[in-house]
Amino acid sequence: MVGSFIPKNKKEALDLKAKYTELIPYSGGTDLMVENRKNPSYLFLGKLNELKGIKKTDGKIEIGAETTFTEALESPIIPQMMKDALILIAAPAIRNTGTFAGNIGNGSAKADSALIEYGLDAVITVESVRGERNIPIEDFYLGRKHIDLNEDEIITKITIPDIHPDFYSYEKVGGRKALAISRIAFLGILEMESDKIKSISVSFGAVSEKIIRYKDVEKMLIGLTKEEAKAKKDEFVKAYEDRMQLTEGRVSADYRKKVTIKLLKEFLKNGGI
Amino acid sequence: MEKIKFKLNGKDEIFEGDLSSRLLDVLRDDFRLTGVKCGCKEGECGACAVLIDKKLVNSCMVAMGAIDGSEIISIEGFKETERFKVLDRAFAELSAVQCGFCTPGMVLAAEALLSENPHPTEEEVRIGISGNLCRCTGYNAIVNAILKASKEGNGLW
Ligand SMILES: Cc1cc2nc3c(=O)[nH]c(=O)nc-3n(C[C@H](O)[C@H](O)[C@H](O)COP(=O)(O)OP(=O)(O)OC[C@H]3O[C@@H](n4cnc5c(N)ncnc54)[C@H](O)[C@@H]3O)c2cc1C
Ligand code: FES
Ligand code: FES
Repeated sequence: MVGSFIPKNKKEALDLKAKYTELIPYSGGTDLMVENRKNPSYLFLGKLNELKGIKKTDGKIEIGAETTFTEALESPIIPQMMKDALILIAAPAIRNTGTFAGNIGNGSAKADSALIEYGLDAVITVESVRGERNIPIEDFYLGRKHIDLNEDEIITKITIPDIHPDFYSYEKVGGRKALAISRIAFLGILEMESDKIKSISVSFGAVSEKIIRYKDVEKMLIGLTKEEAKAKKDEFVKAYEDRMQLTEGRVSADYRKKVTIKLLKEFLKNGGI
Repeated sequence: MEKIKFKLNGKDEIFEGDLSSRLLDVLRDDFRLTGVKCGCKEGECGACAVLIDKKLVNSCMVAMGAIDGSEIISIEGFKETERFKVLDRAFAELSAVQCGFCTPGMVLAAEALLSENPHPTEEEVRIGISGNLCRCTGYNAIVNAILKASKEGNGLW
């Protein structure tokens, strides 16, 4: 046990993480403190201003890894679909400390901000003394509770596109109203270009070991008009039904499948498909 | 071991122990602030809530290393304020306290809410205390007490 450290800036944090790779990055602590590890050595990152804040730069929105959910909810730059998800995370006290880095830091498929990041093709920036890597979120999540992060690296930034889709639908199914961990979460985004579908993004959270998104299936509808897409709708939905292997958890895999397909169909219908 | 400095209920303090210690335990055991209650240590009940830099936070989910330079207010510190008196009176008049275990957290959740939104709707009050569990009152009395305090404390928040 090397003990815990409070670095004064990012450089010091990266130096420490390189020297003592066993240091556990600590952001808001809302997951770590529940895990209740024995004699942990933490690297406290939550107050590093270089890793906080939200910026808009040519068509993109950069979210500092240590930004809290409350800070994001107060920001005029954060897209509404992200806010829809954030406002349903836990309760005020947890949103006041919980961060974007911490939400993806343990690779959970139940992480509500991660679902939005999946749907938007977010890029995760990780840094170490060796330099920086920018990883598309779908590559960042390797498997159940497993992310692409080397032992000397920390997450420093999340970048999402500043898009204003024609239609989106976000749904979270939890066990109760407040403090509910997602049992099923859904995000559908539809972007049109004149009368044709420019992009369609469909993601499911909390139903499998990783967040589910099938870009090859999405391609089926790209470039079509809504009328043409309607004709392919059954085939599109079936592709999801056939492919999705859902985990048995607090709710059965069968129930999960029914609800996910219903959410997908509703999204298509409300989006005019 | 690094030292950390913070303000607790208006007083400068130094902590030299293990930075991974839980703020909740330090407040209760080292500072004897037993108005900070421990109900779950999992972030589920809000009984351990304090204000950190004016924001509501569950002290069971905070390690000491995270509060270097912060200002912490527990119910013991908040008790000295005019705002507390208004909340205290409203809670008493509307029987919003039964066993009292949730009350410190509820009162601080109310303070955090009212300082950001002095005239909340009933729904906003319910969201404000959504992380605080109460086994006794059924919540309505607490919600009404906070609405009453918001009216009677006009100008204080
Ligand atoms: C009662 C309760 C309700 C909850 N409800 C929800 C909910 O509805 N939706 C939801 O998505 N989550 C929920 N959570 C989980 C948790 O609050 C979130 O996942 C939160 O985003 C974690 O962020 P944090 O900053 O507190 O993480 P921490 O606890 O600080 O860290 C979490 C993990 O990420 C790692 N990590 C942190 N920062 C970095 C970094 N910069 N680089 C690399 N790794 C890092 C840590 O080492 C750790 O493994 C809930 C938790 C509780 C206790
Ligand atoms: S003891 Fe902290 S939330 Fe229950
Ligand atoms: S009064 Fe007993 S828990 Fe609220």
